[in-house]
Amino acid sequence: MTSMQKWTTKHLTLCAVLTALALALSTLENLFPVTLLIPLPGVKLGLANIVTLFALYYLGTGSAFMILIARCLLGALFAGNASALLFSLLGGVLAMAIMALLRRCRKLSVYGVSIAGAAGHNIGQICAAMITLGNTMVLGYLPFLLLVSLFSGALTGFVVALLFRAMEHVKLSRT
Amino acid sequence: MTTKCSPPELRPKKLDILVAAVVLVLAVVVAVGFYGPKLGQSDHLTAVISVGEEVIERVDLATLKEDKLLTVEGECTLNVLLSNSGAEVILSDCPTQDCVHTGHISRAGQSIVCLPGQVVIHLEGASDEGAPDIVVG
Repeated sequence: MTSMQKWTTKHLTLCAVLTALALALSTLENLFPVTLLIPLPGVKLGLANIVTLFALYYLGTGSAFMILIARCLLGALFAGNASALLFSLLGGVLAMAIMALLRRCRKLSVYGVSIAGAAGHNIGQICAAMITLGNTMVLGYLPFLLLVSLFSGALTGFVVALLFRAMEHVKLSRT
Repeated sequence: MTTKCSPPELRPKKLDILVAAVVLVLAVVVAVGFYGPKLGQSDHLTAVISVGEEVIERVDLATLKEDKLLTVEGECTLNVLLSNSGAEVILSDCPTQDCVHTGHISRAGQSIVCLPGQVVIHLEGASDEGAPDIVVG
């Protein structure tokens, strides 16, 4: 999306719905904490990343970025936690930037883009943790988070691939 | 308005494996860089407890006569149990409870991090080397 896009009501609504969906997925995810299985802070399935990835392909970088920012702000508002905002923003923006770049590579499928995005999200979160804690101790978690991101990224990619396959038959006009 | 966005490649391609490999290599590099230098130190465990950037307490675990219960006041309040074998957070009023779920740490280089409380409990010095740090999955 290079030129200024025209914000039709339909486009705006679609963005809003996707934002709501991302928030709902984050909340859903918190109900099933993966941290019980793998006791590492920050281990998540990253279901909200499904929305980011979908929006990136379907609506373009600009809209996906706006959905991401809205999700982070509202998510922090719901959680009532200012430091959570830094975590989700740094993680989200880094994941977004990596995915937006890799998306242009035609030799990569949605899986590769998704895994790179999940890894970027974890790196961003570790950076946020290092900033808030003021020491590099948390860096020790990164290898494990990266390993988990291989699986969570592949899962996200799989879901988005399913989504696009299902939508081949849906004539949802892109306005 | 029509967007120029093309749908993604839905089938995994060869280059995806490269991406996964890069992530894997990055994980190994960070792991080696972080845990590598910490192996092979003296087998004298010291628990370093810090809140934010400030180290509030250093406890020599090897010379500990009996288990010690410590209350750490960060952004949240943590009850830390220190013993000869290591440390664990037994109670915390933080919302995530990740520090409690981390469980018992007993080896140098391991740490318990409570992000909401901004508390880090880190073990210095090494004991049984070569054992896995954490078993994942």
